[in-house]
Amino acid sequence: MAILTHLPRQLLPTTPGRLFLLLPATTRAFSALSRPPPNYPGHVPLTTPERVLLGAGSALVCFFNPRRADLIAACGEATAVPYFIYRLRDAMLRDATGRRILRERPRITSKSLDLAQLRRLRDGSVGREYVRWLDRERVSPDTRSAVRYIDDPECAYVMQRYRECHDFYHALTGLPVVREGEVALKAFEFANTLIPMTGLSMFSVLTLKPRERRRMWATYFPWAVRNGLGAKEVINVYWEEELETDVDTLRSRLGIEMPPDMRSIRKAEKERQRREKEMMKGV
Amino acid sequence: MQSIRPLRSSITTLRLVRRSRTYATTSRSDADLYDVVIVGGGPAGLSLASSLRSSSVTNGLRVALIESLDLEPTRKWNPAPGTYSNRVSSLTPGSAGFLQDIGVWEHVKRDRVQAYKGMKVWDGVSGSRITFDADLQDGASTIAYMCENNNLTSSLLSRISQLGEGIDILDKTRVEKISYGEDTGELDLRSWPVVTVSSGKQLAARLLVGADGANSPVRTFADIESRGWDYGRHGVVATLNLSEEQLGEKTAFQRFLPTGPVAMLPLPGPHASLVWSTTPENAVALKSMSPTDFAAMVNAAFRLSHVDLDYIFANVKTGIANEVAWREKNTAFDPWRVPATVTGVQEKTVASFPLKMRHADSYISERVALIGDAAHTVHPLAGQGLNQGIGDVRSLIKALEYAVQHGQDIGSVLSLEPYYSEQYLKNHVMLGVVDKLHKLYATTSAPVVVARSLGLDLVDKLGPLKKFFMAQAAGR
Repeated sequence: MAILTHLPRQLLPTTPGRLFLLLPATTRAFSALSRPPPNYPGHVPLTTPERVLLGAGSALVCFFNPRRADLIAACGEATAVPYFIYRLRDAMLRDATGRRILRERPRITSKSLDLAQLRRLRDGSVGREYVRWLDRERVSPDTRSAVRYIDDPECAYVMQRYRECHDFYHALTGLPVVREGEVALKAFEFANTLIPMTGLSMFSVLTLKPRERRRMWATYFPWAVRNGLGAKEVINVYWEEELETDVDTLRSRLGIEMPPDMRSIRKAEKERQRREKEMMKGV
Repeated sequence: MQSIRPLRSSITTLRLVRRSRTYATTSRSDADLYDVVIVGGGPAGLSLASSLRSSSVTNGLRVALIESLDLEPTRKWNPAPGTYSNRVSSLTPGSAGFLQDIGVWEHVKRDRVQAYKGMKVWDGVSGSRITFDADLQDGASTIAYMCENNNLTSSLLSRISQLGEGIDILDKTRVEKISYGEDTGELDLRSWPVVTVSSGKQLAARLLVGADGANSPVRTFADIESRGWDYGRHGVVATLNLSEEQLGEKTAFQRFLPTGPVAMLPLPGPHASLVWSTTPENAVALKSMSPTDFAAMVNAAFRLSHVDLDYIFANVKTGIANEVAWREKNTAFDPWRVPATVTGVQEKTVASFPLKMRHADSYISERVALIGDAAHTVHPLAGQGLNQGIGDVRSLIKALEYAVQHGQDIGSVLSLEPYYSEQYLKNHVMLGVVDKLHKLYATTSAPVVVARSLGLDLVDKLGPLKKFFMAQAAGR
């Protein structure tokens, strides 16, 4: 936008259409009726009002229906600019591995990963834990939707990479995909990547059961903040090259502590509730 | 008012005295008497010498100039076309006007001087920018002239020889000692500085001018403290060859990176002069790069993010050109603002020097005046170094003319005071502004970046304010 002000003013009102074509797409002003061509396949350039509306609307729907993964993705993209996605990209550019990832732009799909081979890896390796997690949740790496609303192609890739690596973070931290685990992991991601959507999703702590919420405040948020800020940037992990690495080794290399096992806590809790109920019946 | 005798007659007396002294047998105060002894044959010293000679008021003064280097190569300076020295200075219209007045400008090889009328300056973190166009100023068509220092000094020497005998130029001569003279009974030289040079000759100066650079021996003799600080940065200079297709209108480009500003200044044809102020480590790395990598790095400096530049300097040792090409493809930069692509660097032109800020407590003391770098050293980001030196000469010559016309002793503090009071504050403000600019742009702290970008955008849009800054920088 700043560029426009440097043009000879008399040119502006008369020949806007032609003039805008001279400008790079990222700085070009347009309306919903004259959308510029995409910067990469699948890209949808948005005007600022559209972006604000998309961000707010998708955030609202996700709050009530966190199963709308498509909207969570849209919300993540709409709120990542300005600043946040550039910061994350710069964090990658400052790191040798991060730079290599940006240069090679690897994608995580069921084709790029040999899942059958991962199943044969020994227990405790990153690949084995990842595929165990996929199997248990009955998802595939392909279920991640493509980035559409980030204008810079490289930043769009960074967002895509974050999204595709999210499943590895589950394997890394051992946090389950239940809502409680997801909120704890998002808090960790927010502290580590500063992607605003991960911060926004912490509001869903309000939708947790009171007991879960207490556990979140007492145990998992402090863990997330301490580890998210203290650990190295997890976006710089070249997961494809770490499949055979031991999860513990990788965790200590990144400086992440294992959070208290949420599954066993929840199991113990349920057990106790069941026993209490039985005792009540027995009385 | 120490002497109200007309100076001319006093000179004659002195000469007579000196001649009579040659018959004397004592060798101790065999000093040759001069009205003005200039130490230093750089642009400032030579400008002073030639302006003293071209002024009808001061051309009767007996002047000597001492320079440690051989000036003969500069006199015969005749470079091959298309090759340029890496020591290039920006001359403001004000400085060029003064050189014109003292008859030097016509000796300058004009085909090797490049005028420019546009300047693009931007923030390397936020991209916020300001453009200057000479048209903004009424009747002006030039922001500055880029001129090789050799071109200027050789023109000054031709002008001096054109004016005929009258200045004793002692080149290949070092200053061995400066001390006060003695009272021989017939002549009291106790307040006169006497310069002993490497040939053994002694020069007694009514006025001793230090144009002898940042480590000025004259300043040390006069016991004038020079204060300031080192920036911890080096200025890397080089002469660049540019891609011919992209040459537009001659424009100066400057981008403020957190490590320091990088500037590309136009020279005639597809050439430009580089001044890149950066960390000493980066300067060492740049100097040891292959010409291809060096060219790629200069292109990167105007195009890539500071994050990329830092990474490449710190981590990429081989294949820099390849790394830069990849990043250029993925970095959204505005092609309108960046200079033409650098295709190569001229042989043996990559050099570096440490950057500092210094300002002498005073420019004058009894029978001593300091000009140019001896008085002040400035960060090169505004291209003001040489112009400040020429400003000093212009002001000092005015003061000396007044003193001569009014029969004052030209070496007295009274005669020199107008020079000091005119130049000190002016130079101090310039040094301060340039120093603050360097510091303001040396940070990546987000609130500072936002504030400085808003400020720059504001100045860019406020015509009168911009005009004011341009007038200050143009030395009008």
